[in-house]
Amino acid sequence: MASNSIHSNLLPKSPFNHFQTSSYLVGSFPAGILQVRVGFSNSRRVPSYSCIKCEKKDEYNIEHVSVERPPYYSYMDSTSGQLEPASGARASVPEQEYWPEGTASQVRAARAPAPGGESSSSPSYGSKPGSRRKNYRVAAASSSTIDVGSSDPAPSDEASLEESIEDTQDSSSEFVVYQSEPEEEETGYDLDKKLGNPHPFIDPRVKKKIEGTLPDEELWWNWKKPEKEQWSRWQRRKPDADTVFLKAMAETGQVKLYGEHPTLTETSLYRARRHLYKEERLQAEEDRLEEVGPIAYYSEWVKAWRGDTSREAIQKHFEETGEDETAQLIEMFSHQTDREYRIMMGTDVRIKRDPLAMRMKEEQIKQIWGGDPVYPTVNYIQDPNEVIDYRGPDFHEPTPNMLSYLMEHGHIITRDELNSILAKEKPEQHEVTDVDEAMAKAVDIGENDDEEDSDVEDEEEDGEEEEEKISRNWSVLKSTPELRQSKAKAKKEGPMSLDEAIDDSENLTDFLMDFEEEQE
Amino acid sequence: MASSLLHQTTQCFFFNNQLKGLSHGFLWRPPCSSFGSSHAENRARPIRASVDTPPFPLFQPPKQQESASELEPADPDFYKIGYVRSMRAYGVEFKEGPDGFGVYASKDVEPLRRARVIMEIPLELMLTISKKLPWMFFPDIIPIGHPIFDIINSTNPETDWDLRLACLLLYAFDVEDNFWQLYGDFLPSADECTSLLLASEDELSELQDPDLASTMRNQQQRALEFWEKNWHNSAPLKIKRLARDPRRFMWAVGIAQSRCINMQTRIGALTQDANMLIPYADMLNHSFEPNCSLHWRFKDRMLEVLINAGEQIKRGDEMTINYMSGQKNEMLMQRYGFSSPVNPWDVIKFSGNAQIHLDSFLSVFNISGLPEEYYHNNFLANDGDTFVDGAVVAAARTLPTWSDKDVPPIPSAERMAVKELQEECRQMLGQYATTSKQDEKLLDSMPNAPRTLEAAIKYRLHRKLFIEKVIRALEIYQDKILF
Repeated sequence: MASNSIHSNLLPKSPFNHFQTSSYLVGSFPAGILQVRVGFSNSRRVPSYSCIKCEKKDEYNIEHVSVERPPYYSYMDSTSGQLEPASGARASVPEQEYWPEGTASQVRAARAPAPGGESSSSPSYGSKPGSRRKNYRVAAASSSTIDVGSSDPAPSDEASLEESIEDTQDSSSEFVVYQSEPEEEETGYDLDKKLGNPHPFIDPRVKKKIEGTLPDEELWWNWKKPEKEQWSRWQRRKPDADTVFLKAMAETGQVKLYGEHPTLTETSLYRARRHLYKEERLQAEEDRLEEVGPIAYYSEWVKAWRGDTSREAIQKHFEETGEDETAQLIEMFSHQTDREYRIMMGTDVRIKRDPLAMRMKEEQIKQIWGGDPVYPTVNYIQDPNEVIDYRGPDFHEPTPNMLSYLMEHGHIITRDELNSILAKEKPEQHEVTDVDEAMAKAVDIGENDDEEDSDVEDEEEDGEEEEEKISRNWSVLKSTPELRQSKAKAKKEGPMSLDEAIDDSENLTDFLMDFEEEQE
Repeated sequence: MASSLLHQTTQCFFFNNQLKGLSHGFLWRPPCSSFGSSHAENRARPIRASVDTPPFPLFQPPKQQESASELEPADPDFYKIGYVRSMRAYGVEFKEGPDGFGVYASKDVEPLRRARVIMEIPLELMLTISKKLPWMFFPDIIPIGHPIFDIINSTNPETDWDLRLACLLLYAFDVEDNFWQLYGDFLPSADECTSLLLASEDELSELQDPDLASTMRNQQQRALEFWEKNWHNSAPLKIKRLARDPRRFMWAVGIAQSRCINMQTRIGALTQDANMLIPYADMLNHSFEPNCSLHWRFKDRMLEVLINAGEQIKRGDEMTINYMSGQKNEMLMQRYGFSSPVNPWDVIKFSGNAQIHLDSFLSVFNISGLPEEYYHNNFLANDGDTFVDGAVVAAARTLPTWSDKDVPPIPSAERMAVKELQEECRQMLGQYATTSKQDEKLLDSMPNAPRTLEAAIKYRLHRKLFIEKVIRALEIYQDKILF
């Protein structure tokens, strides 16, 4: 809900504190007043109605509550032992040789000491040039009045800063320098350090074990096997935010679950309940605001306002002074301290909030919001030898044997079957005519191309049937190359239509079979 | 009629000084202890004529302790007003003596290979105007909208640079919150300024140099005409209050002339010749062997005052730059209002045919280098020799000399030539109304003379001293001709 997001940063110190279930907030501001509020915040800075009257100082004896874990802007660096910013530490400043052009002169100008000393004269702003020189004489007066040498002696304390520095430097050399005691010779670690030999960072005599170190098991860089034996990481329960929350709630005893882990039903049920509770609380706050009026409502956060905040008092004030409710509200807010303002807006980090989110276990927090980016969780470790398993929970059976699968579905047939099918599709068997074997085996040399066609035609017409038969049996043709040529030619002529044949032939007599033989 | 524009580019500096600076640690700078003691009869002025700006001769007194006691640190506000505006001075301090301001080192500096920055002045403090059109005023003290802009516009860029700068300076005094309103209090006032523009007729006549006097009269006339033309009675009040009387305007022109620095400034990609009035760098005095030079740093638009590379500087040394190189005293006087007896570029016009042998003259005084850069070679000379100074170098340049490769000089002819030249110098000295001794007495008797008068008298005094030095140098040359 949009209103939730607007209201989400307001935290009332309300009697609802005992509802510690969630961080949802009770205070609600109707949209209308919210706009006014924004206007107020501006006017608090540049008050047009009234000046800031709050004289009350914020209490000095604020109890320093333990703040929540600070935002992660810095951390203790393990290498240097110093506090270091998280987002990119600063590189060291280079030497002067590496400075960009002009930097050296800027630095020199900035380092130049400011001049000290007080002047005895004052500027004339252009009217009397030369008036601040030592030898200045009044222009109109005669030159003999003031002697050159007896000009006003400049007080000695007007010496420039550089001179005084020089003097102190000179005078310090007059002091006696006492010889200090002879130092003992260093040995071991100190000697190594002095000479520059390799040495441990910390003096081993002084070294203490760092407090608060985790045992090896819990160190983040310690490889730790996952607890349960699983053959797949996907068997781990996926942490849903609601689920984890509900589990945390159950652990703290706010809610009773049926089993160890909340089920989906329970999760949704409790989510709905939480939502409804929040709505209720928001509504209650809104009702209260409407009932009591804004001034009374907000006076909860303005301690310095002792006036009567009831509606009648406001009305009376309005009649008296003409300031309407808004103006009086502004007046009241000008008495609010900064601290109170922050508390009212819910942005005070010192207010200890206790949502469940902060009391959840580390693990649970990490499941929802992730762990520390710099010091990752133990669960973040990766077993280098692990074989990553990307299979999901609805992981199917391993890929079956393709062949048998296809066979089952009839997409593939075996070669034998194929052959058998083909064999069934053999063409009709014609009567085998007398094949002149010599004719059949005759190889056409191809001497006479023109006449040969007709000869070949004749030959082919004779053995056409036979060749048709042969042509269907293509495997035979494959092995007998001499038949291929004739087959080609036969195929060429076979499907010719009648008209084509008429066109093709030299004369109609071609069509008469055995013409030459008959004539013979 | 107008003063010539003399560029002061850094290249010129280093060219002049590099030979001197790198090969010789101390040039012409005698050990201070022996300086005053030797040549008791010769009250020779020091070799380094460090001169204050605005034009003030500051002589190095015979004993150094005196100079130290006469110098007082300047008003602390002087540096403060600059410091607040991001001007910096490193290792130097501003001191004021009876003759004006000067910049002195506050700590020792080893001779470095690189020039070291002692002052950096940002562009915002300067008054700049470019020489060519379009006028570019840096920084935003653009007087557009103010009637002074029209006046500046009406000037001739070639010749009227000093008038332009004077107008800009006067305008800057009037602009509120301008740095020059504060800095103007440290400029020499009209009484302290030695610029001859403010000199009266008598003072000009005290120069005993009619050419210079007439030049200065022309300059004064020009400035006066300009003032009358633009500050007439019906000029708007905005203009009028800038210079109520002509004397103020003349003073401004004098300041502009003597403190102007011409630099090639590069701003962004544009390089321009600009006349600049630069606040703290103009407190540097002049010297013929300077130890500092100016450099424009275009990256952040600052003018740097650099100690030349190889310069050994002790604490209390004065920082000096070369205002104009290669000009005789007349030009220095005309432009800056001071003169120096040891100007190595001074010129004496000799008539007659007498000539001395150049090579032997140079070898007698151990002057080496090319004619443009004669310098006293300390390594050849004994260190106790303190006679050779800029005047002798100038003598080497101005004396009529002959040099013909290997032809040796004939001693008798040389002696004759020397005698002739000496005679001519004496004649020149005789032409002056007073002698140098009389001039010195006059100066000592007038401690409170107006500055311009002092400057004029010193000018002629220096001239005479120079000629006397030439005579003595010829004398020594005569003695030391080797055969």
